[in-house]
Amino acid sequence: MAVTVRLPGALRDATGGKTKLEASGGTLADVIADIDRRHPGFRGRVLDEGGKLRTYVNVYIGEDDARANGGLAAPVPEGSEVMVIPAMAGGT
Amino acid sequence: MERIALPRAIREEIVAHARASAPNEACGLIAGRDGTPVRAIRCANVHETPTTRYRIEPREQLQAFRAMDDRSEELVAIYHSHPASQAYPSPTDRAEAHYPDAVYILVSLRTDEPEVRGFRIAADGIVREVALD
Repeated sequence: MAVTVRLPGALRDATGGKTKLEASGGTLADVIADIDRRHPGFRGRVLDEGGKLRTYVNVYIGEDDARANGGLAAPVPEGSEVMVIPAMAGGT
Repeated sequence: MERIALPRAIREEIVAHARASAPNEACGLIAGRDGTPVRAIRCANVHETPTTRYRIEPREQLQAFRAMDDRSEELVAIYHSHPASQAYPSPTDRAEAHYPDAVYILVSLRTDEPEVRGFRIAADGIVREVALD
């Protein structure tokens, strides 16, 4: 299934500078794997050593927060937009 | 040194946000076109220790990105305040910076006259100052 993935911020380094790309997959895990096939190393930028979404990476599938919707098992409907957004954070 | 033009109204807006949020850190985005700031977008600081840390509410971030798209704007800067310390990226700021294409604008309230400075923070944490004209 074709979906659009958008990558604001530093993650574009992992996709050869692309901030918007087409991908396929029925779940978030499938979509990440599909991008990683074309851009090796992408998976490691968004998932930690335990295979979970990195704490500073927020993913929205349409309006839904993927973490609240099954995490990597979250369904990604045909034609949806997946936003992979690094957190904006810091401190004194 | 790299320079960007920060309109007076936006500078005043982010200082006002910093003052209204003290003693907590204020945070938000600055949208622009062709690298020039056009408006500030206040965001909620949802970090559990907001006096010394900030984390922009993720859904507000999503909405801000969509709003910028609709207006043909881009993310030019991310701002936050240091209520009691200097306007320079802290080790935490450098470790948690994931937007090398944005200018990180810091507002310090430690002196009567607020200090507003801009920086690029590279992926390796290297900081370069950006002059705010």
